[in-house]
Amino acid sequence: MSVSSRYLPQSHRLRLAVLAAVAISLFVPLIARLWYLQVIKETAFVERAADNTTETIIELAPRGRILDAKGRVLVDNRASILVTIDKEEMSTVAADDLQDLFFDLATEISRSGNLTKVQEIDSAYRSNRYGPFAEVPVVQDISEELQIYLAEYSYKFPGVNTTVTTVRDYPYGSLAAHILGYVGLLSEEEMPSVALKEKTYLANDEIGKSGIELFYEDALRGTPGTKVVTVDKFNNILEVNEEIPAKAGSDVQLTIDIDLQALAEQELARGLAIAKQQPTKFEEEGVVIFNAPAGAMVVMDPRNGSIVAMASYPSFDPELFVSGISNDDFDELTDPGNYLPLLNRAIQGTYPPGSTFKPFTAYAALDTGLIGSRGILSIDDFFYDEGVFLIPSCEGGTCRFQNAGEAAYGDVDLRLALTYSSDVYFYNLAASFDILPGFDLESVQVAAKSFGYGSRTGVTLAGEGSGRIPTPASRRDAYRENPEAFLTGQWLTGDTLNTSIGQGDVLATPLQIVNAYSALVNGGTLYAPNLGQRILDPITGETQVEFAPRILKEIFLPDAFSDPILEGLAAVTTWRSEIGTEGTAYNAFKDFPHEQWPVSGKTGTSEKQVENALIADYGLFVGWGPNPDPEYVAVVVLEEAGFGGQVAAPVIRRYFESIALERVPAFLSQAEKDEIAKEQAVKSSLNPVTEMENTNEEDSSS
Amino acid sequence: MKTRRNRKNLNLNPTGDPWSPWLHVDIALVLSSIALAIIGAFMVYSATRGNDPDSYDRAYLNRQLLFLVAGVVAMATAAYFPYRRIRDWVPAVFWGGMFLLLLVLTPLGVERNGTKAWFEFGSFQLQPSELCKIAYIFMLANYLERFNGRLDARQLGNGLLLGIIPIGLILLETDVGTALVFIAITMGMLLVAGAQTRHIFVLTVVGVILSALVWSSGVLQDYQQDRLTSFIDPASSQTEAAYQQTQAQIAIGSGGLTGQGFGQGQQTRGEFVPEQHTDFIFSVIGEEFGFVGSVIVLALFAIVMWRCMRTARKSPDLLGTLICCGVLTLFAFQMFQSVGMTLGIMPITGIPIPFVSYGGSSAVSCFVGVGLVLNIHMRRYQVV
Repeated sequence: MSVSSRYLPQSHRLRLAVLAAVAISLFVPLIARLWYLQVIKETAFVERAADNTTETIIELAPRGRILDAKGRVLVDNRASILVTIDKEEMSTVAADDLQDLFFDLATEISRSGNLTKVQEIDSAYRSNRYGPFAEVPVVQDISEELQIYLAEYSYKFPGVNTTVTTVRDYPYGSLAAHILGYVGLLSEEEMPSVALKEKTYLANDEIGKSGIELFYEDALRGTPGTKVVTVDKFNNILEVNEEIPAKAGSDVQLTIDIDLQALAEQELARGLAIAKQQPTKFEEEGVVIFNAPAGAMVVMDPRNGSIVAMASYPSFDPELFVSGISNDDFDELTDPGNYLPLLNRAIQGTYPPGSTFKPFTAYAALDTGLIGSRGILSIDDFFYDEGVFLIPSCEGGTCRFQNAGEAAYGDVDLRLALTYSSDVYFYNLAASFDILPGFDLESVQVAAKSFGYGSRTGVTLAGEGSGRIPTPASRRDAYRENPEAFLTGQWLTGDTLNTSIGQGDVLATPLQIVNAYSALVNGGTLYAPNLGQRILDPITGETQVEFAPRILKEIFLPDAFSDPILEGLAAVTTWRSEIGTEGTAYNAFKDFPHEQWPVSGKTGTSEKQVENALIADYGLFVGWGPNPDPEYVAVVVLEEAGFGGQVAAPVIRRYFESIALERVPAFLSQAEKDEIAKEQAVKSSLNPVTEMENTNEEDSSS
Repeated sequence: MKTRRNRKNLNLNPTGDPWSPWLHVDIALVLSSIALAIIGAFMVYSATRGNDPDSYDRAYLNRQLLFLVAGVVAMATAAYFPYRRIRDWVPAVFWGGMFLLLLVLTPLGVERNGTKAWFEFGSFQLQPSELCKIAYIFMLANYLERFNGRLDARQLGNGLLLGIIPIGLILLETDVGTALVFIAITMGMLLVAGAQTRHIFVLTVVGVILSALVWSSGVLQDYQQDRLTSFIDPASSQTEAAYQQTQAQIAIGSGGLTGQGFGQGQQTRGEFVPEQHTDFIFSVIGEEFGFVGSVIVLALFAIVMWRCMRTARKSPDLLGTLICCGVLTLFAFQMFQSVGMTLGIMPITGIPIPFVSYGGSSAVSCFVGVGLVLNIHMRRYQVV
């Protein structure tokens, strides 16, 4: 018999069955839902779980440092605290509150020392270079105190975070700013070009914008690392699943010597300051003011084409770019009224080389045989310079050419013509090229181009200017493009004359000038100038890449050509005749230790054609020493400063004198200066001062 | 029958008496409920041990195992005394429980997550509403039994009045979930006790209207309303409740067919699901043991419920049937409600899964319920 139903009536069994049916039916939706979630939708949920729990962290790699020739660190990295705004979180804040929040934030940041405007924060926040979920960098380089404050009062500043980043640090301040260049945020225009690069770039990454930072970007840039991690709800890292460590960028060692670079910058600035003190000249054509607002100086080792120093004035403080340069600052740096401080005049400024061009005209005459057996005169033949040169059978344009100040140098041979910088002697050569059958009208241009004029030197910096060597063809093209600028599209004999003395349309960068002279003094080897010496492993310091001197070409320069030219140029700094005629830089190099450190040079004074204005001449000087195997070739260009022999030559003289007498001052970084100041403070505190205090106390007690 | 003469023999050494109650313990019920509790303890461990492999936190595991032992002792105790004798004590226990429910509303009670339902003794908490469930089941069964399976309106009303006392007190704690459990128990027992179909219909209609009135009256806080509605479209809601349900479904869904393995659940390890060791523990099961493991857990519940139903049918008297039905309803509703809310098909009401969720009061209460069913099962051959 069944024991289960003794008391239960049929109706109760039915009710129990109903309850059982309800209980069983409960399982149906649960299992159906489980099946839906775990079997049908599994992949989607696995993805969402992975989104939740795994994160890819990009580890930024520090940029490589930039070192000088002796291994001193010119550009370093330092940690900087960055305020960022989480756009996603901030988007939940109402517009009114947002303004209050930005106001409070700007107030706090400004109070801590970084003057920050509300608009700066606002425009950074609204900048459309960041996506809606991005962390937008707002203010860099805040103090640690402020970071703590912001963390403590995070409820007041929702969506405002701080992170530590590395930024560029300049231990030597603005030294060599033009060479080093600066870094900045990757711009939208740069994005397509970096997409092809080996090292990955992200939207917030920094990239070299100019100078060495730009040229050696591929070496300097670190390889960012990635870390795939499992995180919990609070973004704590539970475990690292995959890690590609970040690799610091390589260090780049330059050929620059800090001490010589600093000296070049100082001497350039001093030269301009002195030039500025010249009294204003009142001439028939108008008033000439010696503004001397800008200039450039390049020092090169002619033995291998490496650049020892490169200065451009005015300069800038690369520190301005570290926190992201403000618009006002950037406008100031790019304002022509401020003479474009960002412009590296050493490679980007193009100047009429003036008389510094003459040795190459001389070379043209020697090379073509115009001076020599088949030519009009031999090297040692004298030509009578009466101060004026008239173009024979002149067809138009200017026919009368004269020396500067119509000085008549009398009988000059090739050497003396260079020593005195006789224009007339070279006009005679140029006219002969132009007129004499059997000689190429463009001989001077051909010679100049073989020394690298008119084309980029290939220096390891971006943005180099190429200068200009005018030819009849280029004149025709220029005239066709802009007829207003020229009287005629015809190439006249006068143009050849102007070209022969580096005037007219001849333009050269200071670097081209120094490079051409290097070839002239080293026996004819034309180098592509190097600023980078080697690339070093950032950790071991081992050389990864060594940059050998890059020889562009060997110029045909037999001693028979170079000796008379160099002899003439050696006399520039030393020659003074009994009757008082002297080399153009004789005065500047008076009392120079010629015996120890024989120095040569060439002055140049060039007229820059400026429309509707009369401006002072540009003073140039190229010098080298110690002869006979020079280690340094230096050029200086001073804009609107006057005669090269008067204003430019002394700059090089002081520079070389320091080298010759081994008095180049050691240029110290701020940290080194602080160190010394501290030591002195310690020393002075050990000195009688303390004893004095003691005695004072004794006095007062007694 | 011969054996019935020995019905007063409670000797635990029943040699020679084949009808001794202890020979008729429902092993399947005992094993499946303990299995659920052990699985639960390990799920609690997985949810709370932290992420440091060198020093996993065993505190919750140890306490849950302690609760399990306490539960098994309570189960044995509840099975030991014949249920028909216990009934004499029931009113005292029930009213004592009601007193505790009152007391918990005073400052002696502790509030958690907006609900004031706990007493705190050092590191242990006691939730009187959990313990009251069983007392209420017994009390109601005791009352309904006397009508022999047919309730008229007045008897039904009295039964409801009895129910309103704990339900009202628990609603005062603002513990809507537990109140719903009491309502479910009441409905299930009234059904079996013989409530008439039309009465049940009227009650349902009144219940719906009352719910609507409560909903619109503003008695419920916004977050409570939100908990109850966010499951419909969690993506549209930004609240904690929606987040909790979304994360739980991600955990369960990512478990797939066979799960990520014990201690391997990414969501669990990252503690993405709030309350993953208590009310939302099913998310851990789903993530780490997948569909297969989830269904096994549900199957264990099915066994427990099946044994309750079986005992209800085999009970020698209506009292036993009603107690079994009450316990069955309790398990069925709580399981469906809390698993359902984890799966996103039920609103969040914050009640634990019987046996599985972390918590001593719940564990003891569930095992006492099992003990009562065992009690009836053991004595099913003993004539009233």
